[in-house]
Amino acid sequence: MTLQSIFARFGLVIIIVMFFSFFSYISPVFLTFDNQVNIVEASAIVLILALGMTLVVAMGGIDLSIGIAFDFGAAFAVVALKDFGAAWYIACLVGVMGGALVGLLNAFLIVILKISPFMATLGTFFVGSSVERVFTNGGGPISYRRMPQEYRDLAVGDVFGIPTEVVIAAVVCLVYFIALERSIFGKRIHAIGLQKDAANVAGIPVRRYMFIAFILASATCAIGGLIGSANIRMFTPLAGFSYLLDAIAAVFIGAAIHPKGRPNVIGTMVGVLFLGMIGNGLNLMGLDFNLKAALSGLILVGALALAVAQQRLR
Amino acid sequence: MTDALLKMCDITKSFPGVLALDNVALEVASGEIHGLVGENGAGKSTIIKVLAGVYKADAGTVEIDGHVLPDVTPRSVHDAGVRFIHQELHLVQHFTVTESVFMGQEEQTLLGLSTRAMRQKAEAFFETALGTEMSGNTLIRDLGIAERKLVQIARALIDNQAKLVVFDEPTAPLTSGETDKLFTAIRKLKEQGIAMIYVSHYLAEITGICDRVTVLRNGQNAGRFDEVFDDSAPAMISAMVGREIDELFPKTEHTPAAPRFEVTDLSAEKFEDVSFTIHRNEIVGVAGLVGSGREDLIDTIYGLAKPRSGTMKIDGVAQKFRAPADAVGAGIALVPRDRRHDGLVLDMSVSDNINLAALDTVSRGTLENRRAANAVATDMSETLDIRPRNIAATLRLLSGGNQQKVVLGRWLNKGADIFILDEPTVGVDVGAKVEIYQHIENLAQDGVSVLVSSSDPGELIGLCDRILVMLRGKIVAEVSTTDLGVDELVALTTGGATQEAVS
Repeated sequence: MTLQSIFARFGLVIIIVMFFSFFSYISPVFLTFDNQVNIVEASAIVLILALGMTLVVAMGGIDLSIGIAFDFGAAFAVVALKDFGAAWYIACLVGVMGGALVGLLNAFLIVILKISPFMATLGTFFVGSSVERVFTNGGGPISYRRMPQEYRDLAVGDVFGIPTEVVIAAVVCLVYFIALERSIFGKRIHAIGLQKDAANVAGIPVRRYMFIAFILASATCAIGGLIGSANIRMFTPLAGFSYLLDAIAAVFIGAAIHPKGRPNVIGTMVGVLFLGMIGNGLNLMGLDFNLKAALSGLILVGALALAVAQQRLR
Repeated sequence: MTDALLKMCDITKSFPGVLALDNVALEVASGEIHGLVGENGAGKSTIIKVLAGVYKADAGTVEIDGHVLPDVTPRSVHDAGVRFIHQELHLVQHFTVTESVFMGQEEQTLLGLSTRAMRQKAEAFFETALGTEMSGNTLIRDLGIAERKLVQIARALIDNQAKLVVFDEPTAPLTSGETDKLFTAIRKLKEQGIAMIYVSHYLAEITGICDRVTVLRNGQNAGRFDEVFDDSAPAMISAMVGREIDELFPKTEHTPAAPRFEVTDLSAEKFEDVSFTIHRNEIVGVAGLVGSGREDLIDTIYGLAKPRSGTMKIDGVAQKFRAPADAVGAGIALVPRDRRHDGLVLDMSVSDNINLAALDTVSRGTLENRRAANAVATDMSETLDIRPRNIAATLRLLSGGNQQKVVLGRWLNKGADIFILDEPTVGVDVGAKVEIYQHIENLAQDGVSVLVSSSDPGELIGLCDRILVMLRGKIVAEVSTTDLGVDELVALTTGGATQEAVS
C-alpha cells in the first residue's frame, strides 16, 4: 500500500482527526466535555435535516426545499399553539403534517409531472418562501412567548441529563439507520438511486417509493422546525434556509467516506458532526465565524476529490 | 462501373477476444449503389467504422480514387469525399431545416451569418440534388422521420464534395410509405454520379436498389453478387447464414398444456393488432429486425410502455399493467435486452441483485434478513454456476454471461409463471449460452410459459416451439420450428419471402 493509496482510502478520516487534534491543541476549551456536548447539541437540527436529505440523495434525487419544510413545521406548530390553543403534542403532529405538505408538492412535481428533483424542489423553495412572506405580511416573525413548557422543552429540556434535541436527533438517526440501511425499504431506495430503470424492471414500484420518500424527507425536516421554534419561541420565516447547504455538504461528505461512495446514515452523522466541529473550533479560536463556510466548502470539495481518487484505486 | 472508387483490401480488425474482421475486402465502383449485408455480428458496422476512421484496422489498406490513404482518420476520409448517414439522426429538434443543414459549416460574411443565402442554398439543394421540396424555415420537430433523414443527408452533402455516401440502415425507423421518399433521393443522387454503400437488413430493399452486393458472415467475405435481380434474396440469405444450427440446444418436444397468456389485438405506438397465445410448457419465439416493433411489444407486455388498445389475459383473467411492478405481481418476469442498464444494479452485490425482486421473502417483518438473503444467493449461484462464487462481488465485475445468470437467478428465485427473455444471450460467451439455453428448457419442462425475443434466428429455431415473425409493426407469420430452416426464417423477417415491393 503506497502512501498515496492510504491517503485516498482514509484521507477524510485523517483530515477529521487532524482538525480535531489541531483544535484541541490550539484551544484549551475545545476538548472539554461541555464543549463537546455543545458541538453535538448545535448539530442536532442540522442532523435531522441532513437525514431527510440523505434519504432523497440515496434515491438519486436532491431536495433544495428542506428549509421550507423546516419553516412549515415551525409555522404550523406555532400557529396551532397560539391561535388554536392546541396541546403540545397536537401542535407537533400538525407541524410534521405541515412539513409533509411540502413533500407532497415535491412528490407531485417529480413523480406525476416528471420534473427533475433539482428543478422541482427549487420551484417549491421559491413558492414556499413567497408563501411564508405573504403569510407573515412581509417576513416578520410570529412569536409566542407563553408556549407550553412541554413544547419549549423540545429545545431546552433534557432526558436523564441529555438535551432533548439531542435525544430526538438520535432517535431520528436510529430510525433512519434501520429504515435506510437495514430494511427492505432501504434496499429498494438504494436500488432506485443506483439504477432506477433496473429497479423498475425488477418490479419495484419506483414511482410509489419516490412519492413516499419525498414526503418522509420533508416531514423529517419539519421535526427540525419544531425544535427550532421551541428554542426561540417563535416562527421566523425563511430560517430553515441556513441549514440547506450544511445538510447537502454533510450528505456528500458522508457518501465520500462510505466504502462504496453511497449516501448513508452513519456517514451523514459524521459529516454533520465534522461541520459542527469546524464551526465550533473556529469560534473558540476567535476567528471569524464566516471562515467556516470557506472551510466547509474546501473540505467538501476535498472529500469529493478523495472519493473520486478512491473509485480510481478500486 | 469500370474503375473502383473505393477499394478496401485485406481489412483485419480484432477486439479483445473477438476477431471482428478477417481479411475482408470491399470494393465500390464509382456511381454504383453497393449493398452490404450480413447477420448481426457479421462485421458490417465494424467495416463501416474502419472506413470512417472510428476504428483503426489492425491490417489492410483503404484506397480511394486510386490513392491509398496513409492514415484513415475521420478527417482524411471526409477530405477524400466520403460521407456517412448514420442510423441515428442527431438533429436538434428546435432548429430550422436551414440551421440543421449548415450546423457546424455555417456561411458568414463580415456582417454575420448569411442566413438568407444559406436558406436559398439549402432549398435549392433539396430540389435539385434530392428531388424534393423543403422549406428552410420549417422546424425539425415538425418534420416526419423520412424528411428528417433527408435533412441529415443534405447536411452531409451540401458542400458538393461527396463522392461516396454510406447509408447505415437508413430505413430502420421508417414506415414502408416513408421509404419511397428516401429511395427517390437515393436514385437522384445516383444520377449525379455519387456512389453509395447501402447497409440494410431489409433484403427486399437491397434487391430493389443495389447494383452489386457484398455479403459478410462472421467477419469474413461470404460472397459478392455482381448482378442483383429481384429474386436474388434467397441466394443472399444462404450466403449470410451459411451454417447449420449446431448442437447448442437441448431441444425436446414440448406438449403445450392449457393456454396461459393470451394477447389479443394489442396495439401501441410502434406495432399494431398483435395477437398470440402462450401455453403452459411452451417456448414461443419472436423474430424481427430492429424497428420491427419486437422490442416495443416486449416493453408493452411488461408494463414499460403503454398499449393503445387491445387486451392481455393470464389464465383467462384480464390484466392491466401500469408499471412493471404490476406485471411482476401477475407472475411475469422479464430478462431485458439491455442487461447492464435495465437488468442489473451494477453497483450492488450478486446477493442483492438476486434477491431484489423477492426481498419480502428474505425478511423479518420489514427488516432485512441478511443471512436468509445470502443463503438464497449462495444456493442460486451454485445452481446457475455463477462465477466468481462470491455473492458479495459487485455485479460490475462479472462477465456478461455471469451477469445474465444473475438476472435469470433473480427471477428463478422470485418464481414466475411467465418468463419473457429479450435477447437472452447477447454478449454472452458460448459456454454460458449453452447453460442459459438449458435453464430456459428446464423452465418449460416445469410448466412455465416462455417468450423468447431474439435477433439470432438460429437461437429461436433451436429453442422455441413456434415463432412469431414481426415486420414493420405487425405479426406477418407464425411458424412452427419443426423443419424450419434459418434461411426461411431470415427470409420471413427481412420481407424477402413476402416479395414486399420496393418502389
